[in-house]
Amino acid sequence: MDLEKLRETAAEVVAREDVKYLIGWKNGSYGYRVAPAFIEDAEGAAELIFSPLCISNLSTYLTLVEKLPLPRGQEPDTRKIALMVKGCDSRAVTQLLVEKGIERDGVVVIGCPCPGMIDYDLLAEKYPETEGLSEVKWTDDGFLVIRDGEETNVTRDELLAEKCRLCRYPNPLISDIMLGEPVETWEPAEDKGVEEVDKKDVNGRWAYWEEQFSNCIRCYSCRNVCPLCYCQDCILDRLNPTWVNRAVNFSENTAFNIARAFHLAGRCIECGECERVCPANIPLGRLNRKMAREVRDKYGFEPGLDPEAEPFQASYKPDDPEDFIL
Amino acid sequence: MSANNEPNIVAFLCNWCSYAGADLAGTSRVHYPSNVQVIRVMCTGRVNPLYVMNALQQGADGVLVSGCHPGDCHYMEGNYYARRRLGMLKDLMEFVGVDPRRFHMSWVSASEGHKWKEVVEKTVEDAREAGSFEGFRRRQIDW
Ligand code: SF4
Ligand code: SF4
Ligand code: SF4
Repeated sequence: MDLEKLRETAAEVVAREDVKYLIGWKNGSYGYRVAPAFIEDAEGAAELIFSPLCISNLSTYLTLVEKLPLPRGQEPDTRKIALMVKGCDSRAVTQLLVEKGIERDGVVVIGCPCPGMIDYDLLAEKYPETEGLSEVKWTDDGFLVIRDGEETNVTRDELLAEKCRLCRYPNPLISDIMLGEPVETWEPAEDKGVEEVDKKDVNGRWAYWEEQFSNCIRCYSCRNVCPLCYCQDCILDRLNPTWVNRAVNFSENTAFNIARAFHLAGRCIECGECERVCPANIPLGRLNRKMAREVRDKYGFEPGLDPEAEPFQASYKPDDPEDFIL
Repeated sequence: MSANNEPNIVAFLCNWCSYAGADLAGTSRVHYPSNVQVIRVMCTGRVNPLYVMNALQQGADGVLVSGCHPGDCHYMEGNYYARRRLGMLKDLMEFVGVDPRRFHMSWVSASEGHKWKEVVEKTVEDAREAGSFEGFRRRQIDW
């Protein structure tokens, strides 16, 4: 993508009367770090980037922003929030519209067609992070890693993030402004992660998840980063009734992870953020993708495609499968 | 699971069909296993799928949710919602490694006392085969 064009467009957008700020990506402080940027003027817009390192899903900030009660007599600020989205992120926006978590009038969606992002862990393992800022660019058949002025060509297969291998919608599905031409879609890879667990027997799966969930430290990063975990009254925080005890042990961890995966069934748009931020490296994506697959195969529903769709768990079809019923 | 290898079953029954069906089984003196603890709810649509998880966590070896046949719901569509949500939950639990024999759902109408007996027998039998589910029990800390 042409960065000049991106910055120019962003500057135009933030200059608009009806736009409060723009959320995009900018360079972090060292190595491969990329930080979210909240841009209010042309100066800020000049910092924006879009590179294979912009893996984070910024749509979570739409609901993460704290809405304090207004002092009496003060009018609410109804200006729009502009947001840069990749293909997967755009589905989160659509799903938020479906759930009425945000209003269409409240956002300006800036679509960035996405050729695929880099798996940060793989990258840092092969090409350790430098103290100075490094850069990564797309090339015709992979990535160009620039560290301390030294350029390395890497094939796409080597570093592509898992969620991008599986991606079916790299082009934003909803946007007000589209930056650049749509990218060519690719054949999604087979989901080996889910299959690996799926082919175990029931006890094998329990053993597998027991090992994984035992590592969970209940930091709730997965919930907080998720664009669709924005319930003001999350069951995990509730004391009465206490759905999940606060104790960190296998039983409660499992209950928590089941509860969250269940709440995301038919809503998760597979942006992979939960798995990316998990400090315990729990393969949460497998859980969510498995549910997404079931919803797609059995119920013919995919979240985040159609803003007019009915929410999956708050609707039904008379001919939903019922082969499991006695 | 009690000492003599009898599974504990928690059953959520809707007020209008399955609860009445179980009642009919009782008044008709149909014999069925006594392992079932019945919890009456107004509608299966009211059964939060996490109840199932919670019951397993708190000592149940098997869970049963039963309501009106599709189309017969007292509230018109509650059981349709339940079917979708609990079907998903069953898939999820299976993927996490909870034995699918631990959770069943059924449609039992107010006139189906005999079907109720069959459903209970099946649920108890399955839970017995699946065995005690200690791994998932809530850890209680004794201070
Ligand atoms: S991010 Fe990982 S460790 Fe933290 S609560 Fe979620 S699953 Fe547990
Ligand atoms: S559950 Fe994970 S993959 Fe799904 S939308 Fe939330 S953060 Fe993204
Ligand atoms: S875990 Fe469930 S209740 Fe909590 S924020 Fe996510 S969807 Fe909402």
